[in-house]
Amino acid sequence: MADPEAATPGARPWWLGIAVIILGCVCLYATTTLPATAQYAAIGPGMFVTIAGGGLLVLGILLLLQIARGERFEAQDAENAAGNLPMDKRAFFTALAATIVPALTMETLGLPITAMVSFMLVARAFGSSKIVIDLLTGAILGTVCWFLFSRLGLQLGGFLPLAGF
Amino acid sequence: MDTFGLLLQGFDVALHPMNLFWALVGSVLGTAIGILPGIGPALTIALLLPVTVSVGPVSAFIMFAGVLYGAMYGGSTTSILINTPGEAGSMMTALEGNKMARSGRGAAALATAAVGSFVAGTIATALLTFAAPSIAELAFYFKPADYFALTVLAFTSVAVVMGTSRVRGFISLFIGLALGVIGIDKMTGQPRMTFGASALLDGMELTVVLVSLFAIGEIIYVASRYRHQSDDVLPIKGGVWMTKEEWKRSLMPWLRGTAIGFPMGALPGGGSEIPTMLSYTLEKKLCKKKEEFGTVGAIEGVAGPEAANNAAAAGVLVPLLTLGLPTSATAAILLAAFQNFGLQPGPFLFTSNPELIWGLIASLYIGNVMLLILNLPLVGMWVKLLLIPKPQLYAGILVFAMIGIWGVSGSTFDLACMVVVGLMGYVMRVYDFPIAPILIGLILGPMAENQLRTALAAAQGNPAVLVETPISIVILSISALFLLAPMVLRRLRKAA
Repeated sequence: MADPEAATPGARPWWLGIAVIILGCVCLYATTTLPATAQYAAIGPGMFVTIAGGGLLVLGILLLLQIARGERFEAQDAENAAGNLPMDKRAFFTALAATIVPALTMETLGLPITAMVSFMLVARAFGSSKIVIDLLTGAILGTVCWFLFSRLGLQLGGFLPLAGF
Repeated sequence: MDTFGLLLQGFDVALHPMNLFWALVGSVLGTAIGILPGIGPALTIALLLPVTVSVGPVSAFIMFAGVLYGAMYGGSTTSILINTPGEAGSMMTALEGNKMARSGRGAAALATAAVGSFVAGTIATALLTFAAPSIAELAFYFKPADYFALTVLAFTSVAVVMGTSRVRGFISLFIGLALGVIGIDKMTGQPRMTFGASALLDGMELTVVLVSLFAIGEIIYVASRYRHQSDDVLPIKGGVWMTKEEWKRSLMPWLRGTAIGFPMGALPGGGSEIPTMLSYTLEKKLCKKKEEFGTVGAIEGVAGPEAANNAAAAGVLVPLLTLGLPTSATAAILLAAFQNFGLQPGPFLFTSNPELIWGLIASLYIGNVMLLILNLPLVGMWVKLLLIPKPQLYAGILVFAMIGIWGVSGSTFDLACMVVVGLMGYVMRVYDFPIAPILIGLILGPMAENQLRTALAAAQGNPAVLVETPISIVILSISALFLLAPMVLRRLRKAA
């Protein structure tokens, strides 16, 4: 997905339409690498990919036309969030960082430490300032979950792979 | 064997102590997540999915049924006591229910919601019991072209009904369809859209996409637009029970709500928003004490929509169990759960796995009784869940989300997907794209493709085969209506 920072609701988010068109083109490009031998009466593995890609391409153009005509985009209301509030960039990036952590540390540092760091980051994004307590809570939650879900048969990797546990 | 005998057999399965235990676990979890913000039934079932592999399909689905119904009960509690509807279906309940709580009749509002949910849930389950086998029977006559038409109907209705803009609805749907073709093509063995990445050969897991869109997208979105407010829970006043007059005023709205909710829930794209809205409008029209609406709160405005909401939840199971056709995000994850156990819902499931189907249906009756007991006297306890501070609550949701995704296949690639798809979920919330169509496209896309290619191959590629049977013509015409109706209506309004 393209950079969500590029526009705020109310402006003209051209990039949205362009992103959809790019997605469509990626699908259509993928069909060119499929061998034609797998086809029968023009029905092959590429047919549905072409439909999906072509659809996205057309819809992206339609979205661009709507944006040109001044389509309004109103952020959704959710529990504890109001769509008309301005975006809190610091909170956004802190929460985003919390979701990136698992991909970087899960394999080497294991679930408890990953949970500890991510937990603290999300709590911080929501305005909690009790870093030590949040780290502790996250570590305990991660450890309890690791033992509980491992016993239930889930493969959650090592407890602390780096140290060989 | 007749339906009644099969249902008795189902009760035999559902009343097994182990299955009763799982029904209780599901009901408790369902009520809890209905009350907690940021986590709904679809997300919960997705997170539970990896755990249930060791439990077995019958117990797993009995638990899921508890989660599905329990979330409806829990959602009404928060709507009434703090005016924050947990699920889309309880939005209407909040209108009158919260007013009732403010004017000191919170207990009556909670009671009519709980009893109404029970009445509607039980009647709707009975309708499901007797309608499902006949619809499943009908589905035996469906040809590939008919099935393809059915998926087209599900696609168009979901894309049109959910969300505010058709273009954005269809973009969501087509992103789902594109995600659905990733991986090895089942008919020819060709890898598609993998771009050389071996991690993509198995395709995109629905669990990963669903958890990322619902949990990660929600966490980032709420964090970026967090509304700092303390939820002041209204005290439950007015005795624990309803007065005789309140019973009388609730009865007909319950029945009318059920009559609206069940068929609308069973239709593709019906969902729970439209039936609850219809029920609310109807009750407002029929109510003799109109002055109570919007002022002190009218009990009819809680009873009707709550019943409609629960009946719609049962209605969603009809196309899912009989045709294998999911019409909501929750139904999509239930379908994925069936596939996880190597089962395909549809007409054949009724003959190949009667134990599972009838055990599940019987457990819906039992779950309803459990939920009534869990919710009515214990509502004060459930409300305590709202004391969990929001920062730690959302942090906990992220921990469960990463366990859910990591536990599926232990792949770092999936965790990276979590970030990308989660960001997409964020953008979709900011620019108001509906989320359910992605999930429906992802899970139904491969089925639609399979039926389309089977139908076309049998006719040497002649597309006329798609409109050869009366069933497919009717279904495709309805799909076209869905697509064109809003446009025609707008023209007519302009002309008038």
